[in-house]
Amino acid sequence: MQAFATLPSQTADLLPLGKARLRDTTQDGARALETFLAGVERKGFRIAQIALRHEADALDAVQDAMMQLAHRYAARPPQEWKPLFYRILENRIRDMQRRRIVRQRVMAWIPWQGEDDEGGDALEQAPDNAPQPAVQVESDEMMRALEQALSQLPGRQRQAFLLRNFEGLDVQETALAMKCSQGSVKTHYFRALQALRAKLGDFRP
Amino acid sequence: MNVEDMNEGTSEFERHVRELLNDSVEHMPAAARSRLTQARYAALAARPFWQRSLVRHWAPAGAAAVLAVLLLVAPRGEHAVVSPLASAMPEDLELLADGDALQLSKDQDLDADFYEWAAGEAQGAPAPSLGT
Repeated sequence: MQAFATLPSQTADLLPLGKARLRDTTQDGARALETFLAGVERKGFRIAQIALRHEADALDAVQDAMMQLAHRYAARPPQEWKPLFYRILENRIRDMQRRRIVRQRVMAWIPWQGEDDEGGDALEQAPDNAPQPAVQVESDEMMRALEQALSQLPGRQRQAFLLRNFEGLDVQETALAMKCSQGSVKTHYFRALQALRAKLGDFRP
Repeated sequence: MNVEDMNEGTSEFERHVRELLNDSVEHMPAAARSRLTQARYAALAARPFWQRSLVRHWAPAGAAAVLAVLLLVAPRGEHAVVSPLASAMPEDLELLADGDALQLSKDQDLDADFYEWAAGEAQGAPAPSLGT
């Protein structure tokens, strides 16, 4: 009987604990997502920058990818986040590349192109082949050559190479991110490596 | 050298490329880093409300409670409001769907005496005389 008498007070003690634990779980989820995004944002940005050759577009692409991941896939297991993030990012990069091609075609077709005062926008949106002033690497020339060579690779090869070599995804994760088979990842990577070697030679520091 | 060989180990070339790319991340300009941080916060704020709050933990319990209340409050017994269709026996439905049954209901109006007699028979009451 005494055991029953103490039950309500024990329950009362447990309730705040449970609530606190739930709050902790929610905060843990947010913290895990923030840690993840902080861990991938810079490499994601560099991958987008190499593909788009444009800093502002690359930042937009990364921001969109982070937003979509947080909005749609935050409830998915954290181990799935990285392949999902890079899949979304690559989709955004392709969208931007397509839009750029269409814009360039339209601008080429418009007869009064260049006479307008707003012609400066096209220059701003054009691919930036000059090295970004922010990229302060020790060997600028090598970095520039590498970026140039990477940006000239076919999209799938560039994606496979950067995800495997730079981001450090394994073959399975890369296949998930690229939505293709592991064999295709290996083939794309192999071809990318061959093309880069052919362009850059030994490429020693 | 085939695909498998090239994917197995990491060559000097690959290591060097990786170092260069990692260096470029380390030396990223402050403006870009700041913009990425802002983008991250915006993304975290863009999470759906149910993921940001305790709602997602309480939602299943709430749904169960609502279901329980509905089951308790739902009318039962003599006062239950039951759809006539739900309570109809299969043969009643067949009768409704049957064309002959429609004719029967029309005949019923014309032969009211007969049905009054039949109802009395069924209840055990003395049958009214049919004139014989």
